[in-house]
Amino acid sequence: MTTLAKTVGRRPYARPLQYLALLAYMCFLAFPLLFLLSTAFKTPRELQSPDAGLLPEQFNLDNFTAAIDKADLYTAAGNSLLVAVTTTVIVTAVALPAAYALVRFRTKLRAAATGWILLSQVFPFILIIIPLFLLLKDIGLVNTLLGLVLVYAVWSLPFSLWMLQGYVAAIPVELEEASAVDGAGRLKTLAKVVLPLLAPGLVATSLFTFINSWNEFFFALVLIQDPDMQTLPLALARFVGAEGQVQLGQLAAAALLACIPSLVFFMLIQKRLTAGLLSGAVKG
Amino acid sequence: MRTRNSAVAGLLALPLALTGCSAFGVGDDEGGSSTITFQSLAFQDTTIAATQSIVDAWNEEHPDTQVELVQGSWDNVHDQLVTQFQGGTAPDVIHDESADIMGFAEQGYLADLSPYLSDEVTGAVSDDVWKSVTAGDGSVVAAPTLLQSYVVFANTDAFADAGVEIPAGETLTWDDLQALAAQLTADGAYGAGWGLQQPTAAVMNLALGFDGTFFTGQGADAAIDVGEDELAVPERIHAMAYEDQSLDPVSLTQSGSDVLPGFFDGKYAMYVAGNYVAQQITESAPEGFNWAVLPPLAGPAGPVQAANPQTMSVAAESDDVEGAAAFVDFFMQAEHQAALAQGDWLIPSSGEARDLVAEQTAGENGWEAILASGEGLTAAPFQAAVNYPQWKDQYATPALQQYLADEITLDQLRQQLTDGWSELG
Amino acid sequence: MTALAAPPRPRRRSSDGRDAWLLVLPALLPVMLFSVYPLVYGVALGFTDAEAGLNVETHFNGLDNYVELAGNGLFWDSFKIGLIWAFSVTVLQFLASLGLALLLNLDLRLRWLARTLALVPWAMPPVIIAIMWQLMLNPSYGPVNRTLDALGLPSSINWLGEASIALPVVIVVGVWAGMPQTTVTLLAGLQSVPAELNEAAAIDGASTWRRFWHVTLPALRPIIVAITTLDLIWNFNSFALVFVLTAGGPGGTTMLPSLFAYNEAFRYGNFGYAAAMGNVMVILIGAFLFLYLRGQMRRRLQ
Repeated sequence: MTTLAKTVGRRPYARPLQYLALLAYMCFLAFPLLFLLSTAFKTPRELQSPDAGLLPEQFNLDNFTAAIDKADLYTAAGNSLLVAVTTTVIVTAVALPAAYALVRFRTKLRAAATGWILLSQVFPFILIIIPLFLLLKDIGLVNTLLGLVLVYAVWSLPFSLWMLQGYVAAIPVELEEASAVDGAGRLKTLAKVVLPLLAPGLVATSLFTFINSWNEFFFALVLIQDPDMQTLPLALARFVGAEGQVQLGQLAAAALLACIPSLVFFMLIQKRLTAGLLSGAVKG
Repeated sequence: MRTRNSAVAGLLALPLALTGCSAFGVGDDEGGSSTITFQSLAFQDTTIAATQSIVDAWNEEHPDTQVELVQGSWDNVHDQLVTQFQGGTAPDVIHDESADIMGFAEQGYLADLSPYLSDEVTGAVSDDVWKSVTAGDGSVVAAPTLLQSYVVFANTDAFADAGVEIPAGETLTWDDLQALAAQLTADGAYGAGWGLQQPTAAVMNLALGFDGTFFTGQGADAAIDVGEDELAVPERIHAMAYEDQSLDPVSLTQSGSDVLPGFFDGKYAMYVAGNYVAQQITESAPEGFNWAVLPPLAGPAGPVQAANPQTMSVAAESDDVEGAAAFVDFFMQAEHQAALAQGDWLIPSSGEARDLVAEQTAGENGWEAILASGEGLTAAPFQAAVNYPQWKDQYATPALQQYLADEITLDQLRQQLTDGWSELG
Repeated sequence: MTALAAPPRPRRRSSDGRDAWLLVLPALLPVMLFSVYPLVYGVALGFTDAEAGLNVETHFNGLDNYVELAGNGLFWDSFKIGLIWAFSVTVLQFLASLGLALLLNLDLRLRWLARTLALVPWAMPPVIIAIMWQLMLNPSYGPVNRTLDALGLPSSINWLGEASIALPVVIVVGVWAGMPQTTVTLLAGLQSVPAELNEAAAIDGASTWRRFWHVTLPALRPIIVAITTLDLIWNFNSFALVFVLTAGGPGGTTMLPSLFAYNEAFRYGNFGYAAAMGNVMVILIGAFLFLYLRGQMRRRLQ
């Protein structure tokens, strides 16, 4: 609860307006999810019928069972989860200290790191894919999930670093110095002051890494050939054929199933985006 | 300093430690060298099953040359192959289509199959279709499997309501099509709908019916000539959409599957599309929807269209080119092709397989007209022009899209098509 | 404010440099191994005539690619489209996301649900997003036109097929697809703004708007700079979404430069020429970012 909310709430007309605005946002952002949901329950006949309503006539689960059978979604989800979680852990563990160092110590590293971060993101990824692929082939990581983890980690590191340094920079140096004056060592200052303030930023950044690894398609496509090692986006590609042919109902069902883990993850983690911990830590 | 060294050591050890972890799939390399990987792009459930059973049959007969089936997807096969060819990890047997695979052939990535294919397989496919998979140096870089043609689907009830007879001749001329569309146009409903969001392939393929060849010469020396014959198809479509108003102009900006619901809805009495859409119509048309496939579309040069067959190729860098080619030959056998064709609702390139399909389906569900349209499929000059794909993306498609949206004139279209080619040369 | 804005004390001690290296090294090492090499390779490729093909020889050809590129009108057209697209999407995304983040930062009922739903676009791969929007925007049967119809508004708009409106429509889809990441970033940033700053200002009697403008926004600045630069780069390079939505059509009106470079490399096999396009994009976008970031750094130091 920020003070901003408190004062705004004092005006009688502000609250309803805020709900209205939020509702408009939700319609814009979540309406396609409803559309996907209704598509997933429709039969092929209903999908081609021009006057079918937005809601399916009945909730038939054929698309879901067919999608799971055909694309082996469980294996794919397991692989995706393994890759995304490993990548996120590695990237966060490595980027956090580096971001702190880049902001707080004004060394020459900073300029070099910033330059590299931006360069690596500006150069079209699609043109780096071939040399990267050759490199992985040379060290024998083609057709392995470890190869994917490496690529995703290296690819996510720059922006994680970049985002995290933004969050570190937003923490006033004075808070750290105050803590140091109180006699706390550097490690204690980091643990007691910096980390709690960084928590929301860390959550946001790991979400970035997680989602990007979870959704990445092209590199997985060229790297993974073994059906047992395919990730979710590869499994979803099964439902799209040549010349714009799509097995729509099954695709929608599979896409829904594929985004449920992310949504549950969001739901659990969104609380961490709240700075409940903060005030106390800063004062203490 | 010690801290730093141990940190480095720890970091180097991390990937090694992970390498030991079998969960990441590292290290379970198969020892057998006689395994052939076959990447199939089969999409329809029935075709996937048919492909699997062909592979199973092969593996049963050839215990020492096992084929491993890998599933790919049409949407991304090109990009995947570019990267894998560069990295030398392409599958041994590659499923693709002629329009796409011939570029890889020019780059030297595909093996010449002609020494390995049996006479039986070679003889069953017409020379015209073989031409579409023969590279500039005369090597046969793929075996053509299934073909598609553009056909006209008709809502027979709409014909009956309008008192229009369903044409039954050998062919349907463009004049007939235009006249039919005009007759079938009534308030709120158009005579025809045609999803031409990506117009170039359809225009190039159908232009052959007017002797519209576009290119002369081969490879890098190909020259363009856009005359009346070449422009006959877009001009006709334009006239139907904007003069007669019998072809829905909105449908021209959409994809084929976007237009299909309008055909089911009675919004369009006729629907021009790839013949394979017959499968979707059979599966998802509303109850009581009656339809037919009209006779093959014909211009002054007859019912000819360019053949763009699906293909089976062998990577030049494969460890076992001979074994892989033997599998392709096996895959091409008539009964296999007939099964695949029925799964995908496509036309087998092999005459023998076409007869089998005609027999097995008894010509029902439009198969008779679909198979008939396959007779007129032949290689086209544009398939041998090296810069064609780039010209298509950068000049032909935008220009045709603008012309079909009535934003430029026929002369401007001609100009853009011609100038675009010289720009690339 | 003034009390807090004391000039930062210089923090250069001899041990600092070593500590910094220690902390940065773990990030640097994998990067050196796996990202610098491909990147340098990619940049160097831009000065060669590299082409796809088995055993094709590659030669350095100096600036030939760039001379050719300078005369390639189609590339510059697409570059212009790319700039319009990247700036529009980034700015709209930022404004929309800031509004949403402020709302989600309030103590509203069902906030957990709103926060989760706000992330929906992020949970789907770009290819799915594109297919879904294609269906939604279908001129005859899509829910968008049907809804307009039900409201008595013009309902026969050909969203993706009309050359004059295709780019704006694609921009809206781009904003939709990219909003979650910006919203989450800003929301996390809002939470990182120490509440004390706001409380102090409130005690001073500053109005809501003034506090937002003078306290919240300046405190958020490093995060805003970080996310807008990233968004701009990503949008300029974005590929999958537009590739499936329109493939650059109708009439080339949505041909983004990354799509153009991709075609050059993957469809026509001209790797060297395509990499040269990449280099030009790096230099131009890099120059813009340099100016933007330098401006922001100066403001931060003031």
